[in-house]
Amino acid sequence: MDSSTQCIRLCPRNALTPRQARSFLLFVGSSCLGLATFLALKGFWPVLPFAGLEVAALWFALTINRRREQQVQTILVSDDEIRVRKHDPVHTDQVLVFPRYWSRVKLRRSAIASHPSHLVIESGGQSCEVGEFLTEVQRQDLAGRLHRLVGPMSEAPVLGPATDVMI
Amino acid sequence: MAHSEHADHAEHDHHGPAHGFIQRWVMATNHKDIGTMYLVFAGLMFLIGGAMALVIRAELWTPGLQFVDPQFFNSMTTMHALVMIFGGMMPAWTGLANWMIPMQVGAPDMALPRLNNFSFWILPFAFLMLLATLFVPGGAPAGGWTIYPPLVVQGGANFPMSMFAIHMMGISSILGAINVIVTIMNMRAPGMTLLRMPMFTWTWLITAYLLILVMPVLAGAVTMVITDHYFGTTFFSAAGGGDPVLYQHIFWFFGHPEVYILILPAFGVVSEIIPTFSRKPLFGYESMVYASASIGFLSFIVWAHHMFTVGMPLAGQMFFMLTTMMIAVPTGVKVFNWSTTMWKGSLTFEPPMLFAIAFLFLFTIGGFSGLMLAITPADFQYHDSYFVVAHFHYVLVPGALFAIIAAVYYWLPKWSGHMYNQTLAKWHFWLSAVFVNVLFFPQHFLGLAGMPRRIPDYATQFADWNAVSSIGAFGFGFAQLLFVWLIISCVRGGEKASDHVWEDTHGLEWELSSPAPYHSWTTPPSDAVILRGTTGH
Repeated sequence: MDSSTQCIRLCPRNALTPRQARSFLLFVGSSCLGLATFLALKGFWPVLPFAGLEVAALWFALTINRRREQQVQTILVSDDEIRVRKHDPVHTDQVLVFPRYWSRVKLRRSAIASHPSHLVIESGGQSCEVGEFLTEVQRQDLAGRLHRLVGPMSEAPVLGPATDVMI
Repeated sequence: MAHSEHADHAEHDHHGPAHGFIQRWVMATNHKDIGTMYLVFAGLMFLIGGAMALVIRAELWTPGLQFVDPQFFNSMTTMHALVMIFGGMMPAWTGLANWMIPMQVGAPDMALPRLNNFSFWILPFAFLMLLATLFVPGGAPAGGWTIYPPLVVQGGANFPMSMFAIHMMGISSILGAINVIVTIMNMRAPGMTLLRMPMFTWTWLITAYLLILVMPVLAGAVTMVITDHYFGTTFFSAAGGGDPVLYQHIFWFFGHPEVYILILPAFGVVSEIIPTFSRKPLFGYESMVYASASIGFLSFIVWAHHMFTVGMPLAGQMFFMLTTMMIAVPTGVKVFNWSTTMWKGSLTFEPPMLFAIAFLFLFTIGGFSGLMLAITPADFQYHDSYFVVAHFHYVLVPGALFAIIAAVYYWLPKWSGHMYNQTLAKWHFWLSAVFVNVLFFPQHFLGLAGMPRRIPDYATQFADWNAVSSIGAFGFGFAQLLFVWLIISCVRGGEKASDHVWEDTHGLEWELSSPAPYHSWTTPPSDAVILRGTTGH
């Protein structure tokens, strides 16, 4: 990464912050295990392992779901190239490299109401969609930012000092 | 020229359904496909459980033993309840949750799609095993759906099968609840705050919480019955120092919240439908949320009203009587808010609204008879009589079942992209509404006159109202075939439904096209869309 490489990281958003997720698990877990402990003390101990398993399953489910945040798309724009890396915890990383001079960024309108636009980077007949999990406003914002960095086809605007942005 | 390094997986964001039955349905991970499977499964179970109800009502049409022996009759009452509660109602609500919750909170799918698939596919095997008990020596379980020991422990070949089936249903419910809770809590679109969520999603969140709390209790209770039977423990055997009454406590600690698990999503559905067809926002949205949460909380401290007659201290009787009556307060808030939403509204009476209004009236009847049963000295008279049967059927049939039917009529055009025949749907409503009362209202009179429940034969003084009730049962049962035909014909084709379907809809699901795209909200909805969707409250 040279001194002018611009880095943009994109990741899906979790509705719960880590602190909220912990509080939520604590609330559900303590009520479930508290109840099961009370019943166990009354002699109904077989309730306790089921409650423990269930709280463990809830913790596991929430942890797995929160890993969505690890599905990071990284867009590196340097003087010569645009490098898009799509990372998720399950699959091998996908890396696409485009020559910056011969690339362009397009925000394509879509007829699908639930996915009103697709932001793509294109070059030489190949394209790559980025930021599909962003909201429409975030995607338009990203499109503007990428337009400024990539410029139209057969142009390469001068890049400023290196930046690292998280969206 | 672009080149890719390690590009070993293509993008799959916008593909449609998989080809082939096994790929599409057996390996399904799409929330809409799994929702459809839950609903089809629930429909089948409603038909099987309904057929069992018709066997019961045919036998009770006249005094004396006509068609079945008492053992089989008891099997029918037990199996009817298990099939309807665990096979019909709960999967129907889970199916609706699968279809609607991701669309309502702006999520692309349920939080854990493979787990979702697994929790569905447990169910057919559980019910195959349960229904197979009809063909084993000694027949199906006949001790009632409450599986009270010591009676149930004396069961024959059906005992291990039915116990294992109940465990499997419990696992399926827990996994479904975990999926719902994680989806709602962690996958809401930006801007979809908790107090912007639609009421159906809210009531399901509370339902999922109740499920998480009570299902280990059921699993523990069933396990203790199993160990009493096979491993010589004496949790519920007086001979070894145990106590069968303690089973009743632990069962109803699960069983009463279970009633709210069945009815809370119904409150959510009705809270969606009434504002739409009143063309007014829901009156008192926040008070509806708090009332639902209060009902959820109170459901944990009323269980012993199911067992006043076992003999408990006066203080216990007073406590459970008063807490049970307290449930009328948040429920009254709901009924008031629904009525106030309709007040001076521009009402129209499409099929979902008809069923929602019938819910409002008839569920309230079930609620009032529940208040009568809550009064301890009165309960001593009503206990185990047909009055109790009338009460819980008013809560569960014109209550929960009508809400499920209303939900299907409300959202079916969004799911299928077609509008059903509304004239026939109104016929379905009027036949159902009339016959459900012919079926269950006379059971109040029978119970007050002293007819006990779970008997295949009765004194001749009960003959007339039993005949009326049986006529209602067959009328109601056959009217539901019209519903099945309407759904099938709507899925197969018909007039194209618009995106908003109804005139005054609010909610993110209506921002999607009809039929809803196979993958919806792959891009979270914007704030403006969320605000437009939530201005209904």
